[in-house]
Order: sequence, then structure tokens, then C-alpha cells
Amino acid sequence: MPVLDLGLIFRTSPIDPDLIRGKSQPLFPSGVAEGYWLKQASMSPYAGSMYHGSPLLLSLLGPLTVQRIKGQPSHLFCSLVFVIADILSAMLLRGIGHKLQMAYGLNARLLGLLKSPRDKEGILPSGDIAALVYLWNPFTIVCCVGLSTSPIENMAVILALNGAVTRRVPLAAFGLVMATHLSLYPAILTIPVIFLLGYGLDAPPLKLFLQTRNVESDNRSSTSSASKQAKLKPTAHLPFLWRTVVHFVFWVLVWSLCVLVLCGLSLSKHGGLEEMFKRTYGFILSIEDLSPNIGVFWYFFAEVFDFFRSFFLIVFHVNILFMLLPLAIRLKHRPCFLAFIYLAISSLLKSYPSVGDSALYLSLWALFVNELAVDMKFSFFLFCGYLGVSLLSPVMHNLWIWRGTGNANFYFGNAIGYACFQIVFVVESVSAMLNHDRALKKCNPNHQEVKN
Amino acid sequence: IFFGKRKKMKNLTLVVMLLCYSFASSSGDSTIHTNNWAVLVCTSRFWFNYRHMANTLSLYRTVKRLGIPDERIILMLADDMACNSRNQYPAQVDYRGYEVTVENFLRVLTGRHENAVPRSKRLLSDEGSHILLYMTGHGGDEFLKFQDAEELQSHDLADAELLIMVDTCQAATLFNQLQSPGVLAIGSSLKGENSYSHHLDSDIGVSVVDRFTYYTLAFFERLNIYDNASLNRSYDPRQLMSTAYYRTDLYQPHLSEVPVTNFFGSVMETIHTDSAYHAFSSRISNSKIKSDTPFNQPFNQLSEQDVKEDLQNTNNQNDELKTEKQKCPYSEMRADLHEKLKKIENVDTMVNLSIAVMILVVMVSSSLL
Repeated sequence: MPVLDLGLIFRTSPIDPDLIRGKSQPLFPSGVAEGYWLKQASMSPYAGSMYHGSPLLLSLLGPLTVQRIKGQPSHLFCSLVFVIADILSAMLLRGIGHKLQMAYGLNARLLGLLKSPRDKEGILPSGDIAALVYLWNPFTIVCCVGLSTSPIENMAVILALNGAVTRRVPLAAFGLVMATHLSLYPAILTIPVIFLLGYGLDAPPLKLFLQTRNVESDNRSSTSSASKQAKLKPTAHLPFLWRTVVHFVFWVLVWSLCVLVLCGLSLSKHGGLEEMFKRTYGFILSIEDLSPNIGVFWYFFAEVFDFFRSFFLIVFHVNILFMLLPLAIRLKHRPCFLAFIYLAISSLLKSYPSVGDSALYLSLWALFVNELAVDMKFSFFLFCGYLGVSLLSPVMHNLWIWRGTGNANFYFGNAIGYACFQIVFVVESVSAMLNHDRALKKCNPNHQEVKN
Repeated sequence: IFFGKRKKMKNLTLVVMLLCYSFASSSGDSTIHTNNWAVLVCTSRFWFNYRHMANTLSLYRTVKRLGIPDERIILMLADDMACNSRNQYPAQVDYRGYEVTVENFLRVLTGRHENAVPRSKRLLSDEGSHILLYMTGHGGDEFLKFQDAEELQSHDLADAELLIMVDTCQAATLFNQLQSPGVLAIGSSLKGENSYSHHLDSDIGVSVVDRFTYYTLAFFERLNIYDNASLNRSYDPRQLMSTAYYRTDLYQPHLSEVPVTNFFGSVMETIHTDSAYHAFSSRISNSKIKSDTPFNQPFNQLSEQDVKEDLQNTNNQNDELKTEKQKCPYSEMRADLHEKLKKIENVDTMVNLSIAVMILVVMVSSSLL
């Protein structure tokens, strides 16, 4: 893949990370170096206020922040690690996309849609596109060069999705546990991962298969459990593979235990697990750090009165939680897409958003390019919006903090605009996918009534 | 008089009248008072802060009228209403617009200028100077805001030899950090109180002056160059809608012995009399009492931390209860583990090894299963 090689070369070229970090707004200050230094000085890595991540990450990345080679820019090893993480993520995305593409083609054949304008050759290689989008996304590049820990978190999430899609249960469990450990929000991905393992890959709604079942006469082998089910029983329910899910839960417990034991070990002298939970998850949930980022919460919590602070914290966190159930009900036949929507919502409404989260969900969007690219409205508007916001945001930050001719409202207006564009993007993606399902129903040439 | 609307947020007009007794540190004697300087600073811009500009300019006019010449006045205005051609009293503005910054202000006070700064922008006070420093703008608990972008904190003012009279919201807090001798502090409001604007001009549409300054200026309007009124004036809390506060512990001479013209006018031979200005004579005792109160007020900053702790305390308590119950049968095992851990010197390499082992297990199991 020559394009991937180009991506690799571009990344390892000596871009000065200080330039990026100095000029644009801080992505999510990693503080790994500070945490590591504190650890070496026999203090708790959370003693300073910079590091709020996992102690395991500290053990892995900490030594790398210190080592230097003469003549090379500093943090070379760290950058290499992030480049490798990004490349791995791209390859894993490619694997997911490959599977999804196969499932899409299969379902299309089963529904007899090959005679529709889209032939088999017309199915876009969503895996390759997603991998390319991830590698060449300016957000990903900025994250990688700016040395935030987003590439590693993204890799864990993609690992979980890949494991679930390729039905490698220990891998999925490991990815999910690591992703939740590094930042709290991927915990909501448990639902789509369980759906992926239980129901199988993304497929059009079961009704469509039931409609075509009456017409087909020959048995074709398929990997989609939906179509198998449609052949076997005349019910309208998908089977749920409980065995796989129990297997998955077991592995999740195993990995969680490992991770907790290791964290307890590394923090045994500095307060143990409770300290870690307070400083990592507690930090995320209580939004202590109000330094500006691309999200909207810092501005709000800077001016909210203390009396109402816990109320608003609860409101903002429940804001994500209450969207999970309806989406799960509506999109349970498309668990991979559900994972994408969950990630988009959580990166919009999380405590400390960064552009690394956007990089992730934009490349996951590219996995569904077959279904979404035709139907999606406002695509040009969104593209211009994203472009404008990402160009203006460092400018406004500079005006506010470095030059002093602007103030916080300039930057915050930008952040609000960014949030609006993200919301429009999410809503349009969901409606495009649902329209796609409805369109499938309409142009199904073997439309018949279903007898329940 | 239309008692205009209250300021919503913590609007702060800081009247800092700075008396600088510059004397040789070895001798405690005061040197001969030879001249007066005035540094008048307005730190907020835009139309709705008109009253701050008006405060500064009215005090500029007062000070000029009482005898301080333009060469010994440094006027810093963040917005240029003074230079408007319609203005009847054009001011010689030394620092205007964006030159009014905390850095320039401190440079003026400390005298540390770059070589190119002209004389009119320098505070060329000497041993015999008394300096009046007047600052107005927005501020709050222990800080004063400069032009929406910076702040001057009470720590910054602490190192100078100052008499600070602060008329702002929570004025008393701005001189919490003062320790130098020769500093007298008079504030218009205590911690937690706001200072209010006086009245609104319906033509202009914004408040034009603040209460503390208004009453101060009203006092000065009655003076002329030859008056002997002392600095010991007191303010009616009902009219101010806040409690004026005097911090006198750092200042040696008694307040009633200090004539006002020591700082506000040109240097004259003054014969001090014991009688304070008649209208305020009955309220001398009030000012003394109020000087003690600000330091006894409790700090309410811990409440935010309490809320956070409460959120997590319940979780921690639950965890502790659970682990305690489980510890009892396994307490010996845990004690052993702890001893082993202490013996293992390098926990970090063990953790790294374990992570590597974990990843290996992942790869193996995912390829097998």
C-alpha cells in the first residue's frame, strides 16, 4: 500500500512538536513527562496537577519521554510510539472495513439487490478508505505530532471493535478494558460490542430478509446469522448468541482483574487504587480542570455557581447516558454503526474533548461510506464547517491568550460552532443510515407481505 | 439624585490612593515632604465602564485644582474619552489605550523603565514625595482586572510602600497581603460586599460615578488649596451601601494628624490642627471599629472542595467497607503480599514485564480462540 507508506514517511519527518503545541490550542495536555518525573522522584504521579491518566501508560511511555538521541528532536521515541499506534489503528480499521464490506456485499446479494444500480464492483472498499481517512486526517496528524495520548486511546477502541467484528473475543475484551481504563467513556461501547458478538455484523433489518425468504428457493451459505435465522424460523427475532457473550464477559473480567492488580502494584506506595480512581475517573467526572479546550464545558463551569455545580455535572453526564438506550433499540441491527454513533456522541459531550476523538469518529464514519455517502445531506456544509472551525480555533486561541486582543468569547464561540457542526453530523449520519434502510425496503424487488 | 442601578457582577472601582513615604530604611524618621505626585489609572475600557473613566478624570481635575501640576501627574486611561474634542477638560494622557497594562503600571511604580521611555511617562518621585495612586476598574477578591486580559493581585501591591485606599467590591481583601510599614489602608467595602455606583445619567445611558468616589470628591469640592482638613474622614455606610474600612496598624502617624493636602495638593506649609473637618467629627469612632473586622471573616473557598469530596466520599466509603469485609479472611495473605512487595525493589520493571506478558497472552489467545 504505497499510500500508507507515504503516510508513514510524512509522520516520521522531523516536525517540531513544540511548534504545534505552542501555536495551536493545547489538545489534551498529556503530562506524561511530568507524571513520570514525579514517579522517579518517589512521589505519586498524581501529585502535580498535570497527569490524570493510567499508571500503566506512565510505565510504558514515561521512560520514552526522557530518552534523547543527540541531533534528533526531543521526544523522538514518543513520536515513534504514536506513529506506530496510528499505523496499527489504520490496519485494524482496514480489517474492520474489509469484514463490513463483505457483509454488505453478501446482504446485497441475498436481498437480490445486485440488479440495482450498484454492482458488486461498485461497492466501495470501505476498509481502505477508512484507513486512509484515519491516517491522513489532519486531526490525527496534529494529535500525533502534538504528543497527546489520543493515538493510544484510539488504538484501544479500534482494537475492541476489530476483535468484536472478527469474533476474537479475548482481543475485543482486552481492547475494551484498556480503552475504558485509559479514558472512561469507551465503557459505553460495551453495548455495541455485545451486539456485535451476539447478533453479528451490520445488516439491514430482519424484515427485509423475511420478505425475500419466501421467494428464494436455493440454499446459499451465508455468515450472516440474520439470513440464517430467516430461513430456519418464521419468527421476527434475531438469535442472540449467549455463549459468545458470556465468553466475552469472562474475558473482560480477566483483563480487568489484571489491569487493576497491575495498577495497584504500581501505585502501592502512593495511595493505591482509590487514589487512582479518584484522580483518573474522578477527574473526568468532576471536571476539575477548567483550562480551555475545544469543548464547551470549561466555559460553563467557570461561571456556574458552586451551589449548582453538582447538579450540572449530573446533567451533563446523564446527557450521554440517556441517549444510549434509544439508539441501542433503534440501531441494534447495525452494531458497528451504533459504536460509531456512541463514539461521536461521547466525543461531543465528554468532559475534555479533543481533536483526537474527532479523528476517531471521522474515520469510523468512513467505514460506512457505502451506505452513507449517497444519502447524506449537508455534507459540503459540514465539510466547510469543520474546516473553518479547525482553522479558526488556533487563531482565536492565539488572539486570546498570546496577543491579548481577543477574549475567551472568541474562542468559546468557535467551540460552540464546532459542537453544533458535530451535532448536525451525528444527526445526519443516523438519519442517512435509516433512510438507507428504508430505501432498501422500497427498492427490494421481491417485496411481499410478512406473515408473523 | 437618582440612585442608580446596582452593578450586577462584581464591579469594582478601585480607588487606590497611594501614599509613599520614601525614606531611608535605616532611619525611621520621615524626610521633608517636598512634592506630590499623582498616578491616576483607569483599567477598563468600553462605554459601559464610562464611570471608571469619569472617576479617574474627576479625580484628575480635583488634583490639578488642588495644585499638582501636569508634570507630576501620570494619567493612564484605557479608553480615550478624555481626548474627545467635545471634552471641556482635555487631559494630558500619558498612557492610553492598550498601553495600560499591569506591566507598565508596575514599571511606573517601581521606576524600572526601558531607556527609551520619555520623562513624562516616568514616576520621578524622590525621598520627599508623597504619591497619590488612584486606580479604578473591575476587580474582586484580591485582584484588580486590567482591560479584560490581565489582573493585578494584592500580592503585587504588597511589596510597595503604600497607603492604599481601596474603593471596590471586597476592597478590604486587596490589602490582605500588605506588610510594609508606612502603609495606611482605607477601603470602601469588606470581603463579600459590593461597592455601588452612584447615579445614572440618562443622556449617556450608563452610570457615571461610584459612591465612594462620589463622596470623596464631594468632600474635596468643598476644599481649596489652603484647607487643613485631615485624612481622617469617615463614610456613612448607609449612603455608600457598603462598609468603609480602615487598616491603620501599619501606619505610624495617627490618621487625624495627616492632612489631606499631604497627598492631594501641592506642598504647602501646613499648620496642623486637631479638629477634623466639622461635618464628620461625630463619626471618627466608627472608622476605628471597622478596621478590625475583615481579617476575622472565614474563607469560603473550601466549600467547593467539600462538594467534590462529598461526591467521592460515598464511593470511597463503600469501597473501604467492602474491602474491610473481604480482608478479614485474607488478611494474612495480604500481609504476606505486602511484605513481598516491599522486598521487590523495582516494581516498575515488574509492571512493565506484566504488561508485556498481558499483550502476549492477548495475541496468543486471539489467534487461537
